[in-house]
Amino acid sequence: MSRPAVDTEALTAADPPARRRLPRMSLAEYFSFAFLALLIAAVLFADAIPGLIGPNFPYGDFSQPPNWSLNGILGTDPLGRSVLSRIIHGARATLTIVCVATAISLCFGLLIGMLAGYYRGILERIVDLFANTVASLPPILVLLALITATGPSVITMTLTLGFLEIGTYARIAKGGVISQNDRDYVLAARALGASDLRILTREILPNLFPTLAALMPPLMAGLIITEGSLSFLGYGIAAPAPSWGGMVADSTDLLSRFPLLMLGPILAIVLTVYALNTVGDYLSRRVDTRDRQL
Amino acid sequence: MSGARGAHPLLSVKGLTCSIRTPQARLSILTDIGFSLDHGTSLGIVGESGAGKSMLIKAIMGLAPRIAEITGTVRLDGTDLATLPEARKRSYLGRKVGMVFQNPTTSLNPFVKIGRQVAEASRLHLKLDRSAARTLATDLLRTVGIPDAAQCYDGFPHQFSGGMKQRIMIATALACAPELLIADEATTALDVTVQKEILDLLQSLQQNRRMSMILVTHNLGIVAGRTDEVIVLYGGRIAEMGRTEHLFRTPRHRYTAALLAAMPRMDQPPHSRLQTIPGAPPDLLRPEPGCPFAPRCGAADDRCRQTMPDMARSGDANHHFACHHPIPVDAAPALPSAQEGTRHG
Amino acid sequence: MRSTRSRYLRAVALRLAAGIPVFILVTLGATALSDLMPGSAAQAILGDYATPEQIAALNAEYGYDQPVLVRYFDWLGGLFQGDLGQTLFSRQPVAELLLKRAAVTFQIALVAMVVSVLIGVPLAMITAARSGGWLDNTLRAITSVMLSIPTFVSVVVLGYLFSIVLRWLPATGWVSLFDDPLGNLYYVALPVMCLSVHQSAYFYRVSRSQFVATLQEDYVLVARAKGMSTTYIMLRHALRPSLPQVLTVFGLSLTFLLGGSFIVESYFAIPGIGWTILSAVKAHDLPVVQAILSLTVMIFVVVFMLVDLGYALIDPRVEVS
Repeated sequence: MSRPAVDTEALTAADPPARRRLPRMSLAEYFSFAFLALLIAAVLFADAIPGLIGPNFPYGDFSQPPNWSLNGILGTDPLGRSVLSRIIHGARATLTIVCVATAISLCFGLLIGMLAGYYRGILERIVDLFANTVASLPPILVLLALITATGPSVITMTLTLGFLEIGTYARIAKGGVISQNDRDYVLAARALGASDLRILTREILPNLFPTLAALMPPLMAGLIITEGSLSFLGYGIAAPAPSWGGMVADSTDLLSRFPLLMLGPILAIVLTVYALNTVGDYLSRRVDTRDRQL
Repeated sequence: MSGARGAHPLLSVKGLTCSIRTPQARLSILTDIGFSLDHGTSLGIVGESGAGKSMLIKAIMGLAPRIAEITGTVRLDGTDLATLPEARKRSYLGRKVGMVFQNPTTSLNPFVKIGRQVAEASRLHLKLDRSAARTLATDLLRTVGIPDAAQCYDGFPHQFSGGMKQRIMIATALACAPELLIADEATTALDVTVQKEILDLLQSLQQNRRMSMILVTHNLGIVAGRTDEVIVLYGGRIAEMGRTEHLFRTPRHRYTAALLAAMPRMDQPPHSRLQTIPGAPPDLLRPEPGCPFAPRCGAADDRCRQTMPDMARSGDANHHFACHHPIPVDAAPALPSAQEGTRHG
Repeated sequence: MRSTRSRYLRAVALRLAAGIPVFILVTLGATALSDLMPGSAAQAILGDYATPEQIAALNAEYGYDQPVLVRYFDWLGGLFQGDLGQTLFSRQPVAELLLKRAAVTFQIALVAMVVSVLIGVPLAMITAARSGGWLDNTLRAITSVMLSIPTFVSVVVLGYLFSIVLRWLPATGWVSLFDDPLGNLYYVALPVMCLSVHQSAYFYRVSRSQFVATLQEDYVLVARAKGMSTTYIMLRHALRPSLPQVLTVFGLSLTFLLGGSFIVESYFAIPGIGWTILSAVKAHDLPVVQAILSLTVMIFVVVFMLVDLGYALIDPRVEVS
């Protein structure tokens, strides 16, 4: 007896069936992609936006509510600076830090993770120990401890954030490599006499990309939150340079009189983190459906 | 049909139709299923994977998934199940019907002690207290042949083998002394030797307790000699139904005949070619008008492909089939009588 | 019975032992912090106006002129005697200070955890049973947003709402639970709320996906066939298999709660570990920082060990080994 033409079991399972094309995007997902695109564009081309005033320039009245001008669309802060401009430039600072840190963690994490997953043995033990140690401490605590010794510095923060996330990427890479070690294409490559390096870079690494792509946005969102928290506490990006966390902290001074001051930076942070998490969810749904076809 | 306990049959199904609406099309899983089962009778439901056997059972028991649209009537012991409110229907079915599923390993909750799982239904429906339930469960475990039933009561599923777990499942199904026991592919996941033990156990339980039993299987050999009546399903419809002996001796539907011919037999000469049924099961997404078996049937003609055959009677009042060109009654027997079937099943 | 108890003891010992390398790495790193300071450690602490004698005295007292390993072993020695040194400026014994402050943070974290579980898990049970319904979709959207709100945002927003606008809760301050339980409740409410925004959403999400997976298991179908109601099935059959995942989340929440406590305590002026470390950072008070790092690591090792053992207790298939 042959298999049924239609798998009624799969159809009657709780989730809708995986389609062969990309999963349909919901409204929230469209919005998230669009928002992130807009944010990146604003950050890259901030200087080219006509009429946008500098972030440190007190151009207007203090603590004004939003109005219909470009610079005033999110109002002004207690020193008369444009909130919108400060948010965009703050985004620049935050995203630069986060991207550099992620690049560091990605490179080193992939490296040691793949080696640990491929060769196993003591290398795996070391990587596990490293990842577990780092995971046992909240990032803010480590950053604060370092700052006690070295004083607040953006470079220290970036490097430390990068360092702390190496373990996460290493674990992902390790898991991804281990699950591929016994797959046919790896065994075939080995039988053909390919070197380990070639196998790792040509066969195994490309298959890690979808999972990494799905997990990177939420991790970056986490870094944004950590950097924001640190700036909020006053130990991150130093004033007068704009930072989202710093702007939120500043708004608390005049909260009872000018509550709208907190609006701009809070919206920026929450929307960015939401967008990154949603994009990450979407990408991991794509990974899921691809795996199901494997 | 045989058996007599009250005027009405234990289970009566009329016009049962089940379909699922997907974004692509409407799938017909079952079409116009009707049969009845008397007290103390055993019934086999035979069909290929995808013929709708499991969905039929789920539809009867009210276990079908929410997206399945079900119409038709199901009467249990005279009561129309559709008229009962949800909670009462659940407890009515839970009390009167016991089910044994295909995979004993996944059918038992690994986190819960065996005794509790066996006694659960009795505590819920019969309101037994803890010690009475424990006694009942231990007795049931003993009845199904578990050595050291008392220790099994306190054990966990992962400590037992597949065959033992299926016995435990049977004990679980018997907790409320049901009038109907349904075994849905209960032996498919087991070793062949264990299959026979379980089937024998089911048969003896059915006879000792005078329960009705439904054996759902894709293996025709299992129903031979173990069931009083049999229904053959194909493409979500009943192809043929009637007393097992009659079906085996004089199959009328072409599909039934093909199934019987495909069964390997002890008395075939060695190295003889096994008969197969060419073609593939029907595509539920693109149902053909007419008989679902037509694409694979050697005797099919245009009429078969265009018009769905009605149920016709064959001699004996209980033997029905739906085929435009049935096997003639006086043709040579397709295979030895049902009794000999037990050697194979 | 004896053998079970000794097996558990062995398991506990093994896991604690596995935590030792982690502990050593972190505490050694903490000790090495003073070496990172530009110039001499004492110089940086005492500032520009320190005299050489003061610097030398400080160095001698705290051993900042000694190499790392010597300092480390000194510190370890002190640890075993319950002495974690003294704070730099007020000369209070660090251990005593930390314990008092830790109790406060612990209370807030515990209450926040309980509240989040009590909100998240039952809601997850309800929506898992009725997945796809309006409540399910609404909660999915809401929790999505909640998970995107950093703690420092929730302190500002909730602080504004409850202290300034509604005036229901105090903006700052703290009263110990043992001194005044009712007053304590008053002060604990806002910090707990802020932490619970993220936590309850997190518990909800994880629990729901776990319940949905469990409900698709065959044994749930069997229970339905036996005639059990959905509520009964959720409570008696779906809850226990879903617990291991919830337990994992418990352990991971700890990281979040500790990090969150820094923000919450600093904003609401609550004398806990977070507040302590922030003042220590400002004052370059290294002994305190070192002690907090070590305490944190110890707590994490213990908690993860408990979580591991929890798996063994819940899941009968897991061997305590």
